[in-house]
This record gives sequence, C-alpha cells and structure tokens, in this order.
Amino acid sequence: MYAPEIEKLLKQKKISLGDQVKVVSSSGEFIGLLMPRPEYGDQGVLIIKLNTGYNVGIAPLSLNDPTSIEIVSKSSLTKPTNIKTAKPTNSPEKHIGANGSAGEVVVLGCGGTIASKVDYKSGAVYPAISPEELRASFPQIEKISTIHTKQLFSIFSEDMSVWHWQQMAEACIAEIKEGVTGIVLMHGTDTLGYSSAALSFMLQNLPVPIVFVGAQRSSDRPSSDNEQNLLNAIFAAKADFAEVSVCMHGESNDSFAFLHRGTRIRKMHTSRRDAFRSINASPLAKIDYASNKFEKLQETKPRSTDVGKIEINTKMSDNVAMAYFHPGMQPGFFKHLSAYDGAVVIATGMGHVATNPFGEKHSKSLLEPIKELISSNIPVVFAPQTLSGRLNLNVYSAGRLLKEAGVIGDGCDYLPETAFAKLSWVLGQTKDMKKIKELMEKNLVGEISSRSTLDFDEPQFIERCCE
Amino acid sequence: MKIGIEIHSRLLSDKLFCNCPSTLTEDQSPEIKIERMLHPVLSELGESDRTGIAEFKKGKTFEYWAYRNCNCLVETDEEPPHPLNSDALKIVLQIAMQLNATPVDEVQIMRKMVIDGSNTSGFQRTSLIALNGHIESSKGTINIPMIALEEESSGIVSSSENRAVYRLDRLGIPLVEISTSPDIKDGAHLVEVAEKIGLILRATGKVARGLGTIRQDVNVSTEGGSRVEIKGAQDLKMLPPLVDIEVKRQLELVKILVELRERKALPIKSEVVDVTKILHSANSPLIINGLKAGAVVLAQKLPLHKGILGREIAPGKRYGTELSDYAKRAGVKGLIHSDENLDKYSFSETEITQLRSILDLSDADAFVMVVAPAEQAQKALSYVIERANMDHVPEETRRANPDGTSTFMRPLPGRARLYPETDIPPTRLTQEFLQSLDRGESLEDKKAKLEKLLNPDLAKTMLRSRNLHLFEKLVELGADPMMAATTLENTLVSLRRDGIEFNDLEKTLKDLFGEYKKGSFVKAAIPDVLKGMAKGSPASTVLKVFRLQKITGIELEKLVAKEQCNQAAIMQKYRLQVDPQEVTELIAKLKCENPDYR
Repeated sequence: MYAPEIEKLLKQKKISLGDQVKVVSSSGEFIGLLMPRPEYGDQGVLIIKLNTGYNVGIAPLSLNDPTSIEIVSKSSLTKPTNIKTAKPTNSPEKHIGANGSAGEVVVLGCGGTIASKVDYKSGAVYPAISPEELRASFPQIEKISTIHTKQLFSIFSEDMSVWHWQQMAEACIAEIKEGVTGIVLMHGTDTLGYSSAALSFMLQNLPVPIVFVGAQRSSDRPSSDNEQNLLNAIFAAKADFAEVSVCMHGESNDSFAFLHRGTRIRKMHTSRRDAFRSINASPLAKIDYASNKFEKLQETKPRSTDVGKIEINTKMSDNVAMAYFHPGMQPGFFKHLSAYDGAVVIATGMGHVATNPFGEKHSKSLLEPIKELISSNIPVVFAPQTLSGRLNLNVYSAGRLLKEAGVIGDGCDYLPETAFAKLSWVLGQTKDMKKIKELMEKNLVGEISSRSTLDFDEPQFIERCCE
Repeated sequence: MKIGIEIHSRLLSDKLFCNCPSTLTEDQSPEIKIERMLHPVLSELGESDRTGIAEFKKGKTFEYWAYRNCNCLVETDEEPPHPLNSDALKIVLQIAMQLNATPVDEVQIMRKMVIDGSNTSGFQRTSLIALNGHIESSKGTINIPMIALEEESSGIVSSSENRAVYRLDRLGIPLVEISTSPDIKDGAHLVEVAEKIGLILRATGKVARGLGTIRQDVNVSTEGGSRVEIKGAQDLKMLPPLVDIEVKRQLELVKILVELRERKALPIKSEVVDVTKILHSANSPLIINGLKAGAVVLAQKLPLHKGILGREIAPGKRYGTELSDYAKRAGVKGLIHSDENLDKYSFSETEITQLRSILDLSDADAFVMVVAPAEQAQKALSYVIERANMDHVPEETRRANPDGTSTFMRPLPGRARLYPETDIPPTRLTQEFLQSLDRGESLEDKKAKLEKLLNPDLAKTMLRSRNLHLFEKLVELGADPMMAATTLENTLVSLRRDGIEFNDLEKTLKDLFGEYKKGSFVKAAIPDVLKGMAKGSPASTVLKVFRLQKITGIELEKLVAKEQCNQAAIMQKYRLQVDPQEVTELIAKLKCENPDYR
C-alpha cells in the first residue's frame, strides 16, 4: 500500500500495478513497471522495476504535482494477477469430503513455507501455493505415485488452533474411507509437532500412514527443501506402516529424509533443513525416494486393510494453558490458570517448580496455587524443559511435594508440545481427574516409552556421526 | 558495433549478508561438505527465465566446500541473510559519487536467479545503488547507467555433467558492479575506459587488490548480430582482441545464416541415429575407449550443411566448434563432424560408406556424431540441433579464453531472472545520510597527491600500480616517497625476475624502511637486504649476517683515512655500506695528504 496521496494520484491517473510509468524525482526521470509497495519502509517511495529487472525505490519530486507520475503504457504482463496479493482461501468446510480415487496418495494443503509464495504487498513469504501448483512444479511426483490434492487452509502454522487440527482429522477420515493409500499433509514447520501429536491421539489404529511434511527454506528459492521433502513424504505415504508421522530432511545435504513418529518430533533449529529431531526416541525410518530406500529404524504399526478398526475421537478441549516455569515465577501467575480446563507446566529437571521446602525468605512457593488448581478439578501436567530424559517426582523433595499435590507426569518422557496436545485431547474424552491422570501417564500412541534407551536424545545423529 | 563494459570489484569489508570475514582460505581441502540440488522457480511477474530453465535441464548435483573461519549458516543457505552490510553500502555510495552517479531513494535487494549452483540459494543477491553516472574519456562521455552492489558467487573447483563442486569461502564477499552504456568505440577505447574506472576504484582505497579481485565483462553487439556478454577477462590487454574476435565471430555467423537460408537448409529435423553397430569395430581410440566405458555412438544428419561446419568464425574456431560448445553442456567431450578431417579417427572406407548410407547423406549434406553414454549423447545432440536451428545469432553469455576467443556458457539472462529478496527490508537513503558520507579521494586528488611526492614518471606508474595502497601506507609510516616507490616498482620487479618472492611483502617493507630510518644501512644496500629478507629473516639479522650495516661517523673517518681519501676506491670496496655524500663530506673535512685522489 502506498501513501494515501500516491494512491489518490494513481487512481486519478488510472495507473495500476504492473503498468509502465514515468516517475520524476529530484534526481531525474525513471521509467519502469510500477510494483506493489511492501507494508514496511517509506510508503512515499514508489517501487519501480527497471528494464534491467532491478527494482528501485524512487521518491516522486512532489506528491502535489500530478506530473510526478505519468503512465507510459498499460500492463503487458500475461498474468497481471500474479503480482497482486494472494488471498488466503480459508473456507475448509466446502473442501471437507474426499474427491479422490482409491489407491492414490492424497496431498492435503494446510499452508506453511512448503506451499509459500512471496507476498509482494508485505514483502514477506506467504503460504499460497495449492497442491495442484506443486504437482505442476514437481512433475517427478507422478513417478512416485498418482496423487490427488486438496487445499484445507492457507495459513501460517502459528495460526493453527484445535479447530484446525479437527478439520485435518476429519479430512483424513474422509480420504481413508475413500480408500487412499496414504495421506500427506503439507504444514508450516513452527507448530508442526503439535498438529502431528494431536492427530496421533485423535486418529488411532490407522489403516494407512498419515505423513506431515514441511519446508524450512521458502519455496520461492531454487534451493528450497520443499521438493525433496514432499517427494519423500509421498514416497513414505505408500510405505508399509500406518501411523501419524513427520517427514523432513535428515541432514543439511539434499540426501535422505527421516520419518519421525508424530508424537516424538520437535523443531530444534530456527532455520536449518535438518531442524526436526526425534526426542527420546529413534526416528521410524530413514528414507530416500530417489533410491527407493525405506530403512526401518524401529518397530512401527503395519498397514491394515480393515478400515473399520480405526478409532476416531476428534473431541478436544480448546482451553488448555501451557506455562514455562522460570526462577522467581510469581504464585499469582497460577491464579490466572483457573480460567482454563487444564494446564501443562514445563518444569525444570526431573519435574520441579519452586516449592521452597526450606522456607527461604526470598523464595516463593508455587505449591499452594497448584494445589488450588487441582482441587478445583483443573489438571496440572508436568513436562520436561530439558526435552530429553524422563520426569521422576520421587527423587527430590520438591518432586515429592508436587506429586503429593496431584501433579500429573511422574515417569513420563513425552515432549511438552505432545503433553499439551494430549491433555487437550484427554480433556475431550473425560472430565474425571483420576481418569485424566491415568490416561496422561499411560502410553497411548508411542508418546511415552517405558525404557530409557542408552542413546542420548538424538540417536539419528549418533548413528550418522559413526557411519 | 556497440561496446559496453561491466566491471566487478571486491570491496574491503566483511561479507554482504552475514558477519563472516571476507577472507579466502588457503586450505584446499574442505572442512565441511554439503550436497544440494536446485530447481527453477517463477519470478514475481510469473515469468520463468531461460537461463534458469537451461541450467535446470542439466539436472546436476552440487557439492559445496565450507570452511569454519569464513562460512556460516547464511552461505550454506541454512539461515536467512542478515541485513545489508552498511560498510559495503557506504563504499559503493562513495564510488557512485566519484562516478557522478545519483543514488536511488530506496535500495531494494533483488535475487538474480543463477542455478548453475554457484550460489547455494539458487540466486545471487544484488541491488541497484546508483544510476545515471558518467566519466569522461578521450572519445567522449561514457555513461554509467547503473552501479550495483552484489554478493560474490562461490568459486568453482570442478564440474562434470552431473556434478559441480564449489568452494564457499568466496561466497558473499561484497562486489561493486559498474556497467557502462554501449558508448565505447573500439578495443583501444575499451582499455582506456576500463583502466580509468579501475583507477577511480583504486583511488578510494576501499577495493580489494590482487588476482581475481577485479573482473571485466564485455558486452559486444553488432548490426545483424546480437548482444553477447563475454565474462572473465582479468587482463586489460586481453580486451581489444576479445572485441575484434567477437565482432568477426558475429559477422561470420551472420554470413553463415544467410548462406543456410539460401540453401534452404533450415530447419533441421531431429533424426538421431544409433550408429554404434556400424562403428563397433572401428580402430579409433576414441570409439574403442568409449565403447569400453559403455558409451554409444549417435549421429545426426545436417542436411545441406556441407562445408559450413568447417567454416572458420574465429581463430581456431569453426562453426563446428560453435555446435560442439552447445553439445558440451550435456557433459560430452566434443563432437565429430563431417567437415573435419576424419582420417584422425581411423575409420575404414566401409565404415564411412555405411555411415553415409544409414544417415542417407547426399554430397551436400553434413553430419555430427557424438560418443557418450546413451542419455548424455541424446541430450548433446538435442542441444546441437537446438543451436543449429537458431535463425539468428543467439544472445549469449560467453567465457573469455586466454587467446582472445570465447566459449559459450549459457543464454543471456533476461529480466525474469530478477525478483525481490523478501528476507531483507529495503534501505531508505535519506539526503541527511548521503550528505553525511565521506566522498573519499577522487582520482584527481590522488594524482595531485602523487605528483607532489614523486617525479612525473614515477607518479604515473604509482597511480596505476597494484602497490599504490602499500606505497601510501609506507609513506604514512615515514618512508621516503621516492625510495619507497623505486623499491616497489623497480627493485622488487627485478628481484621477482630472479625468482625472489616475499610471503608478507607489507611486513617486510615496513621492517626494511623502519630499519633504514634508523640509519642502519644505505640506500645502495636495499636490493641485497631484501634478498636476505626473502627467507623471512628480519632486516636487523640480515644486516649482521651479510655485513651490510652502514659504516658512519668515527668508523667511516678511519676508513677514509685508511684509503687516503680515495673516493673511487672507497666506493668500489664499500659501496653497500657507505653513504657517498657522507664520504664526499668527510674527504673535504679530512683533506688527506694526497689531494690527487680526491
């Protein structure tokens, strides 16, 4: 958007984006295509694409002088709409319901970097490529599988909510009933782990794989990891396993991908291609579509032809809080949690928050407010800040006090995000505090393991370095 | 004929989009290797670029060599770019002022699609900083429509059909790109303009010196021909032959086109024939080795092309070479064609007859043949047919060869190759900011300054010297300007001729002139002292070991007395240790008994 004076002048002269214009500035005359103005920066500066292809910012000499901007010729671009701002299509209702044929892989678009385009209005990357466009961009897809595609939403993954998880689950059910071979969900990477965990709980005993996939580097760059990730995900969707999973780059090279269990995955880097790591677990498989390789790294649930066995429970609470404990946290903070159905507290070490057992005068205990929440039937679930390792509320007095207060999570080695998705789901199944605790602390879909294996948190990494 | 030039010069600052130092690692082996692939994307206008498509057809894997001291996640395309380096921006603005150009009001960073793998991202970031500059030349004003700031690409290590290897140390070093209008009249004029722009850049003292730090791309267009960009001329002397040969090449190609039209030889239908069976027992090493390695021999008829392929279009380059350059993009080593002397392949009469028969050749026809693995050979011939069918001289980017000829690299990129870099917000250049900038030293300032310090000849040499910056540093440290300039431009040159080189010239000369300032040795000893220092010893040690310390004061008096004031004898024996003027003065003072020797 340009400054109001400029917009007015453009309207008056019937100049639209993409037209060839002449701009007079203090340093001379410039001729080029009028480009959209990013929302940041000086709104009084016109963006002109010169004949050489370079964009430059030119400040018109005077906004009051109508001769500062003149039209030279109307747009000759074949696709002028392409330089307009892409609008998100956010009406999934009409998309729910399968349209594909049995035996195919379905690719469902949920937005994110993997399906992003440059938004020349904000100047930022914007999720707007439909799966159809991706198929056109990557003809190799057809070599792996016939696919059909559907756009569920076009949003950044931080804008996802419980509602969106439920929409994804519903769309998957519809496709499974149609007899698809597997499902690929293109999703933003920032909250991908939450969505994959949520679907893991909502859809159990799957007959076919559900594979989430994203991209770390935007699809408007020739080096984007979108192509390799997507092709590997489609390849995985045809493989012999049937779980909710995540497929992402295995290393910085464009070589192989790891397939991770949906409840075990975490984005561990802001930008690297290999940001996704399985925590407290090994990835399910190491895969490479190009060499037709699917190397199992651990036991997975096999495919099944019995669609009837699928357990669908999409009810969830959309009112769960998550709090990150820090030193000096105010007890008053916990009072606000009473407005929620439940809370996940990301606790230190083996599951600790301040309880002040020694009566130190400068410390404040959180024990009382936590007890109050639990006694008013608001479950308080602990998850580890360390991500790696298991909670144990029996070792230190803080842990014992919290366990006694009714905190949930002793013995669990799930990720905080998984605990959040799980609690949201459990609260959709029951309100009974005893039942909630039982479900939370029991392994349902691979989110908790009974053994702490000898490898540290990234067995895939150890394997790689010792190859 | 129209000639323009683009000059790229590295700037003395950290990298353009991250905080890595702009140092090149001496280390040849990589610390980290990364393997990637690239695919083309659409520009903001929804257009796709022919360069991008051409490169993508190659389907290559790229291997990158990274180094911890000068590479980070930005160069490996694992992290978005940091904001534009403001030091580099200021240097370019200073250069723009010296070239009388007008800065843009807002700098927009663009991505220039380059998917030959030389940038890990698949594009080179570039931005137009200033417009409408000019310089004066002996043959009129040369306009400089654009001055851009861009990032250096990676350095190529090796390349084959399926794989290219690049070093990342260079990637991201800031470059200024100065493009002139096609106002240049001829080869000699081109040298003058290139030299002047080079001198203006160097006068700022903020551009890098040394091999590979400055590169010239020449644009040549001819009437009836087209625009061709020739990259990689590192030597000014190379420019005139480069232009002359390119003009001739285009003229010859136009002549060939006219003739092909008259013969009605175009278009050529793709009719690739597998002739492996005919040649499988050929006695040619090329075929024998090829077949052993699993290659096939494919041939294509070029109807009514007889004689054309052998036509010379540039020294040592025939139309056949032109086709072969296109074939090489598929990774094949070259072409065999019917206009060359086929004797060198030792084909038998029968083989040639069978070949002509299967290709259905008449006397007016020609053919091309390639020996390579099937898919590659197929690709190579499709490139050849694509080129042979062009009804015009193609717009190309070519690489300069040392002999003044050039080799096809890729089609000339179009505007669709540029789209905005959205990871970095634009930079507004306000009047206040621009006025606060130091204009730096102009070429005229620099010239005047040198003329004050040196005699006219040496001033002229120094202005053009790659040692200019070092000279200024030495003078600043108190070295005598004439002596510093003579040492840099004469003494070192003749030492180099004798094979004497210095690892750290700057350190050596600082030490040398520091020691001289103390009066430890005389001017005449400089070459000998330097010779001694070449192995890395400090000047003081060299003076002791080689007995080059200056003899002065009482010692010199004794010497003069001993030699009975015979100046010629003293100078002959002690030339490297005594100051002639001091000797003259002493002789005058001592008035030795035998005045005849004075």
